[in-house]
Amino acid sequence: MLLALKGIRKVYRMGDVAFPALKGVDLEVEEGEMLAIMGPSGSGKSTLLHILGLLDRPTEGEYVLMNRPTSRLAEDERAFLRNRFIGFVFQAFFLLPRLSALENVEVPLAYAGVPPGTRRRRALELLERVGLLEKANNLPNQLSGGQRQRVAIARALALNPPLLLADEPTGALDTRTGEEVLALFQALNREGTTVVIVTHEPHVAEKTNRIVRVLDGEIVADERRRHG
Amino acid sequence: MAEEKRIGLSLAETLRIAWKAIAANPLRSALTALGVIIGVAAVVALTMVGQGTTRNVTQLLEGLGTNLLTVGPAQGNRGPGGGLVRAGGPETIPLSDAYAIQEAFAEEVVGVAPVAQGRFQIRSGSTNFQATVVGTWPDFAKVRNAEPEKGSFFTWDDVTAKRRVAVLGYGVAEDLFGTDDPLGQRIRINGIPFTVVGVLPDKGDQGFVSTNYQVFVPLSTYLQRLARPEAGEAKVNTIYLQGASRDRLKDLQERLTRFLAERHGLTDPNDYDFSVANQQDALESVNATTRTLTLFLGGVAAISLLVGGIGIMNIMLVSVTERTREIGVRKALGARPRDILAQFLAESVVLSVGGGTLGVVLGLGLAGAVGRALTVTPVFSPGSAVVAFFFAVLVGIFFDLYPAWRAARLDPVEALRYE
Ligand SMILES: Nc1ncnc2c1ncn2[C@@H]1O[C@H](COP(=O)(O)OP(=O)(O)OP(=O)(O)O)[C@@H](O)[C@H]1O
Ligand SMILES: [Mg+2]
Repeated sequence: MLLALKGIRKVYRMGDVAFPALKGVDLEVEEGEMLAIMGPSGSGKSTLLHILGLLDRPTEGEYVLMNRPTSRLAEDERAFLRNRFIGFVFQAFFLLPRLSALENVEVPLAYAGVPPGTRRRRALELLERVGLLEKANNLPNQLSGGQRQRVAIARALALNPPLLLADEPTGALDTRTGEEVLALFQALNREGTTVVIVTHEPHVAEKTNRIVRVLDGEIVADERRRHG
Repeated sequence: MAEEKRIGLSLAETLRIAWKAIAANPLRSALTALGVIIGVAAVVALTMVGQGTTRNVTQLLEGLGTNLLTVGPAQGNRGPGGGLVRAGGPETIPLSDAYAIQEAFAEEVVGVAPVAQGRFQIRSGSTNFQATVVGTWPDFAKVRNAEPEKGSFFTWDDVTAKRRVAVLGYGVAEDLFGTDDPLGQRIRINGIPFTVVGVLPDKGDQGFVSTNYQVFVPLSTYLQRLARPEAGEAKVNTIYLQGASRDRLKDLQERLTRFLAERHGLTDPNDYDFSVANQQDALESVNATTRTLTLFLGGVAAISLLVGGIGIMNIMLVSVTERTREIGVRKALGARPRDILAQFLAESVVLSVGGGTLGVVLGLGLAGAVGRALTVTPVFSPGSAVVAFFFAVLVGIFFDLYPAWRAARLDPVEALRYE
């Protein structure tokens, strides 16, 4: 098993008001799965994905990643896992605005201590894979939305992470570009990467082999299928 | 776990990122660095000018003669310049004291020069003006560091024979004779003819201590012909003495005081009608004063540097807030808290190193300008420049610790949700 969530609760506190965004989530994901998390807006999908990505800590419950209970990890160990084991594609891309496409892809490689030469070669490979080689030196504001999304994906894949998390990766894309991105995820999944996608769109979810439905901070359905 | 082996960003890389952030906001960065630049420049310039002043005064006092002791009237009736540098006021020291000292301290005193002086009319041809005329002994040249550059000082022979010979200060010679050779020329002091035998070198326009506007004649001649004739014992204003050793000067000063007290038949130091001053004391007190002043001004400059540091802190806090998103993204991509800390510290290090370097350069220029205005040659001490520079860098790091720490412990998800 790649990861397991056990009784995860997440409560946001705003002064006197406490809002439970996750109300006891149990979820197990095997290595090599490709799953979609679906649910209405505000149901807690992003919150769940942030916890999976070690960007957020649950208020209660345990998140076990590769047999390690993450609640006991030191901040440096969490950073290490985010760097090497988890690729995160944000809903709003979050490219670093002063860095070129190429430099953005290099960031995780730099934090991994990859020497500059190797790093550059690897980043160019990745940009080629997402079809953006000729835009390598463009700044994010010189790229279209779809192109930014692809740079963000290339960046998430920089260190070949076994787990790829994507928050509405096709939300900002037209149908054709969206299909391309999904095809890329499917290819990665065939190579062994575990992929978790948060999405609103049924046609995106159809491409996966498992759909987890979330409502008001709870998992209400977990559908597995033979193939995507 | 494997992360122990992780290298993370190299120093060069961290600095490159810092530089990019600084270059992205050139005006703001320049204004931030300005506090440091001004602070360092002020420290460097003030210490340079301060040390220049100290050196000037030291050279000035040392130029008066080495190992100098001055016997003058009692403290209470000293002239405005102090017994040390100007013999003025009533002639109160018996000349016989000079002979007695010469005899009793033959081993420890290498030169004795009693001095009696007054202002007199000096004339040559149609030129005439008032100048200080000093009657003294030949040792004066050695004791007060006044060897002529042309001709020579008068001799014991001249003193014994009461010859009318004169050694001119540089300015007097120039005013009287211009470019002509003054040696052998005839001048009149108070109408009495004297022959010029020597001219002193230019001692600069250093106010009361310069010999430029003085004329030196044998003491015997002075007392007989120029001093107002008085009944009784011959008296002088001051006796200058040169000690044989610098180390024993203090000791000599004390024994000389006791010797004179005994000669004058005095027991209570409050009744002493003379005083013995030590040049070293004056030097030390002047040095102590300038040192205090330099420290004080340096302290004020250091405070301005501190204010510069607060400027850095202010800007870095703003910068951390503005870049909350960037910090979140970097953390999501694997940056450890220490990587973020290093990134923000590197920014203030680059700013303060740059500011410090510019500050030192600006300080050198400023010292030159201030020095010219005050006619002081600033002394560049690499030590104080290095101290100011590193102090600036330390201030930069110190005041950036808090903003950088705030950045480092930002929660990634908070940072990512930040609008
Ligand atoms: N920092 C926070 N403080 C308070 N409430 C929060 C915070 N973050 C999220 N929430 C709340 O938690 C709930 C779940 O938010 P989340 O972002 O996970 O929703 P989502 O399912 O991703 O929605 P969407 O599809 O619109 O992206 C929402 O009601 C939201 O208002
Ligand atoms: Mg969301």
